[in-house]
Amino acid sequence: MEVTRIVEVEGTPVVETVIETQEVVVTATPVPVEKEEAPDVLGVLPRNETVIADILTGRVGTPGNFNDWVGWKWRDRGMQNLAWEPLWLVDFATGKIINGLADGDPIYSDDFTTLTIPLRQGVAWHDGEPFTAADVVYTIETLVKYDGFNAHSYFADNVKSVSAPDDYTVEIELTQSNSRFHTRFLDRWGVTHIMPKHIFEKEADPVAFEFNPVVGTGPYKLHSYDESGFWTIWEKREDWDKSPTGIMYGEPKPKYVVLQYFANEGAKILAQLTHQADYLNLSSDGLKAVLAQCESCRAYQPTFPWVVNNDPCITGIVFNSTIPPYDNKDVRWALLLAINIPEYMGIAVDGTGVLSPVHIPSLGTYPENFIKPMVSWLTDFELDLGNGEKFKPYDPTAPAQEAEYAVGRGYIFPNDPAYIEKAFGIGWYKYAPDEAAKLLEKNGFSKNADGQWLLPDGEPWQIRCVSNTDTTTHGYRNCIAATQQWKKFGIDAEPYPTEAAADLNNTGDFEVSGNWPAQEPWGAGPDLYRTLDLWNSEYVKPNGEVTGGQVGRWSSPEMDAVIKKLRETDPTDSEAVIEVGIEGLKIAVTEMPGIPTYGYVGFMSWDETYWSNWPGSENAYTQPYAHWGNFKYMMPFLEPTGK
Amino acid sequence: MTFIRRYLIPRLIQYVLVTFLGITAVFFIPRFLPNDPIVRTITAIQSRGATLDPATIDETVTNLKRMYGLEGSWLEQYGNFWLRLFRADFGVSFFQFPTPVSKLIGIALPWTAGLLLTTTFLNWTLGNIIGGLAGYYSRNRWSRALDAVAMVIRPLPYYIFAFALLLLLAYWVRWFPVSGGTAIGRKVAFNWPFIKDVLWHSFLPALSLTILGGAVNFQTMKLIVQNVNAENYVQYAKLGGINESRIVSKYVIRNAILPQITNLALALGQIFSGALITEIVFSYPGLGTLLYNAIVTGDYNLIMGITTISIVAITTAILVVDLLYPFWDPRIRYM
Amino acid sequence: MKTFRDLFRDYRFALSFCVLCLLLILAALSIFAPYDPTLWGVVPRDLKPSWTYLLGTDSKGQDIFWQATFAVRNSLTISVIAATASRIIAILVGMVAGYRGKGADRGLMFISDSLLVIPLFLIIVLLAMLVRDRMNLVTLGLLLAFFGWAWDARVIRSLILSLREREFTQTAILSGTGTVRLVLNEYMPYATPLVFSTLINNMAWAIGLEITLAILGLINPNLPTLGTMLQSAIIHQAVLLGRWWWVLTPVILSIFLFVALYWLSVSISEYLDPRTRIQRVGGQ
Repeated sequence: MEVTRIVEVEGTPVVETVIETQEVVVTATPVPVEKEEAPDVLGVLPRNETVIADILTGRVGTPGNFNDWVGWKWRDRGMQNLAWEPLWLVDFATGKIINGLADGDPIYSDDFTTLTIPLRQGVAWHDGEPFTAADVVYTIETLVKYDGFNAHSYFADNVKSVSAPDDYTVEIELTQSNSRFHTRFLDRWGVTHIMPKHIFEKEADPVAFEFNPVVGTGPYKLHSYDESGFWTIWEKREDWDKSPTGIMYGEPKPKYVVLQYFANEGAKILAQLTHQADYLNLSSDGLKAVLAQCESCRAYQPTFPWVVNNDPCITGIVFNSTIPPYDNKDVRWALLLAINIPEYMGIAVDGTGVLSPVHIPSLGTYPENFIKPMVSWLTDFELDLGNGEKFKPYDPTAPAQEAEYAVGRGYIFPNDPAYIEKAFGIGWYKYAPDEAAKLLEKNGFSKNADGQWLLPDGEPWQIRCVSNTDTTTHGYRNCIAATQQWKKFGIDAEPYPTEAAADLNNTGDFEVSGNWPAQEPWGAGPDLYRTLDLWNSEYVKPNGEVTGGQVGRWSSPEMDAVIKKLRETDPTDSEAVIEVGIEGLKIAVTEMPGIPTYGYVGFMSWDETYWSNWPGSENAYTQPYAHWGNFKYMMPFLEPTGK
Repeated sequence: MTFIRRYLIPRLIQYVLVTFLGITAVFFIPRFLPNDPIVRTITAIQSRGATLDPATIDETVTNLKRMYGLEGSWLEQYGNFWLRLFRADFGVSFFQFPTPVSKLIGIALPWTAGLLLTTTFLNWTLGNIIGGLAGYYSRNRWSRALDAVAMVIRPLPYYIFAFALLLLLAYWVRWFPVSGGTAIGRKVAFNWPFIKDVLWHSFLPALSLTILGGAVNFQTMKLIVQNVNAENYVQYAKLGGINESRIVSKYVIRNAILPQITNLALALGQIFSGALITEIVFSYPGLGTLLYNAIVTGDYNLIMGITTISIVAITTAILVVDLLYPFWDPRIRYM
Repeated sequence: MKTFRDLFRDYRFALSFCVLCLLLILAALSIFAPYDPTLWGVVPRDLKPSWTYLLGTDSKGQDIFWQATFAVRNSLTISVIAATASRIIAILVGMVAGYRGKGADRGLMFISDSLLVIPLFLIIVLLAMLVRDRMNLVTLGLLLAFFGWAWDARVIRSLILSLREREFTQTAILSGTGTVRLVLNEYMPYATPLVFSTLINNMAWAIGLEITLAILGLINPNLPTLGTMLQSAIIHQAVLLGRWWWVLTPVILSIFLFVALYWLSVSISEYLDPRTRIQRVGGQ
């Protein structure tokens, strides 16, 4: 079989053709006996003018309510990704911050107590009313006024006054110095959106207001929705040129966009095989099933590892560091050294993820800005095994081992350092069970006659790794892989998938969990404030209470000092921000509050039957997901195939 | 009069007590679990972006508690629950805030009721008629063949069976849709295109439920009839030369149907908790997933709304069956 | 021994007895499994059945044959615990309620009705969350047993209700037969087929519910049962990837299990109920 491979290495698309000689691992079910036309899923819409995507967060529970400022409203059903525009938006594919409703960066005063935001001109709401600074002022004032809004506490605490010197400038006076205030308006999957003043001000109670039909400044407006929450249809507005999307990128191509919910992955795949879905979020095997049977379908990368691996989020294992023995960094490090990473990756995601040795993902600008500058430090980093023994855990060959695994699985992958770095990262840690044992023995752990580890008090060591029950999530995948590794190491480790995982995590009612080992960074720009600040000791709550910070409840005075320093650093001063960021990451590696494993892997497929020019890895003009706010920026670039 | 005093009144008291106890139990049980609606809401918002500030989390918790009506002790909340219930008000859903519970149920119930009422009656009637005949003519070849088919179908895991139907009839032979209760964009309306669309979409779910449920009823009925058939009076009737069809309808079915009526009543009552796996396989709207999601998100009001309806339905169904028993089986008298 | 020979004259008994024995042997083989069933990656992945791997291997790198031995063993254990425990309760409650009537009837039916009216699934999911990571075969079996008797107690009660009104009851009581003897000698023959059929129903129900809980992800995925085997085949898209050996193994095993149990119960109950036996023997 001949396969054309297009992989971007260092910015230049490289096209090469390889001959696949090995038997492809993916086997297919027989082709349908009857080649019939797909039944018309669309009751009213022309299929070739419609893009159909699935909703990541599931069936919409509040189909008739678009008031996203209150509670949780399934905003990726099209609200944030089609109907609304934020002030700024992160694009993790290009590493850039895009101006939406804003016309440039915020301008802070030197002490970070006031900021000025310039606004874009020529934008109109869906109903034709012009968008002006009055809308922004109204939004902030309303959020401050009513305590039913999610963001109420934040704005009430931080905003002293807000005003509009003219129609396209907003001035905000803060109650205290805050160099990151504007990030409340920087969209990276969730942001404070702007309310249309002329609609909200008519409502006596803006908290109870349903905001139906929704009105935004984005290129698509609400067409109709299903009362049961299975689908929402959006229609291109006639004055699309009055939305920031239209102004920046031109006319969106699809006339309609449908966001649909499928209750199980099997049906989702069948929908794509019958060309009733253009974009899907899948599982590792679900993606293989689609690629094996759908000739017109493609993944983000045209060849192995196929997946979206530039999502700005690091997955892994987190420990509740207030509960012994996980309050001991030696124990946390020992559990890390007991992991054989290529095997772990094989179990978790069939070896498709990008490894990261630090608490931010190895993607975008992060390797260049942070991980590579840290390599020499990582190489010299030592663990004290006791008895005067030292051990250097860093392993630059880990990505190559992952590539080896892939080849062993029958996937085609070139033995080329540039490819390997792109697909599997720069390095990770050694598989060192003996050293892990020494670390544990140093702390009073021992092994019984069956080779099972005992806690210092002589009780058998049991680990139950908490994750939710959705098998496609990375919390579940990480728990399965980690418990396998620890079981081999001699710990009674089992995954514990439960529907209550979110609650157990947030209230600290767990010991080990598949939750994020660190908060995901912005995804664009060099500022790590978002990641580091969540380790702030101020946010740590005792077990039993809802925490505001990391669920692992780890904090340290050194990290607090770094956070304080970062708060006083101008977010736009790249060099300074990177330096403080590296300082924070070093503390995180030394203390290892959670084990970072691989960057979030998205198993996603596109059908090219009706639409082409999807932002694949060889042509990543924007981020590839339908659930991110940037989905609307993909619309002008899609090309109808003419079917 | 003795009937009313000695049977009906105690039975009605029992009815009220069971209902009350059931509702009380489902009020308190979820509150013992780690699932907390406040934490759930916060996690949902928090994990989806930065709109909650870590520093102000306590304030947010207090605000949400007030909005959800979760202030005060469990006992106060319990009292409020009954007060609201007598005004036929289930409150608002937490996770789907601020949608009223009654609205959510109102949207899901017609789907569930339409699908499950039809299939329950269908598989009960078909299963019992065919099972009854197969039991009576248990020596015949077709009876044995049917028995064999039912025997193989019944243990099939429902998920796999339903998915196989989907694969077969929605993918290989593309006669039916892959998912959903209606086509995308089809608005609810009482006209033929809408009804046709609903019927077309519900065909596969209905088929899967009817075949599997029918197989269960078939087997049960067949066993019972075989036993009744062996009774003396049936043998006498046969020897006495009474018309076969008369024997079947008058003696056999009538005697065999009694336990099956209890089963029907209970099955009808269970309808209100929905058909979760059916809804998952066919992406079909209904009460099953609504209830399941309510459980996992700790949405107390929604759990209470659905289970209260369900409990009242089941207790009433059992009451009705108990009161009607004498009409089917005159041997049972209420002294 | 004679009983056994008689039973074996029925081909269904003979066949189902053999199948059940085979399944039990399969379950017993799990003792000799060369692999730990909870470990992944012990064999190459996604291989079709062959002489090395009798039933092939799955995407987790486990040998399906050996996984199946554990799955049969565990699922049988769960369903036997659930069905036996709940049968004992159901028969006791049904008989006492049906025969004694009045206060006892009302009291017992009150308890069983209260159990019945609470949506079962809600309670099981809630309890599954409550017992949390301590959920094992026995707790799962007992959990199912606790909720599995109420329905059948009602069915048995209604049978006894109608039997109580029969002439032979009156005759027996008039001739001074004790309650226990009456129930055992006169009612049990009528009730046995029903009990057997509810036993099968209940085992089917227990295994079915276990599968449902597993598919919803509420059972430890590393505990091999028919349910978790099926669940992992489903989540790894074995059907759409054409890994038929992975899906069919648990499905065919459950069919075998049920058919064997069903035939066994039918033939035993026919044997126990002399009237049908005479009819059958007479017919041959």
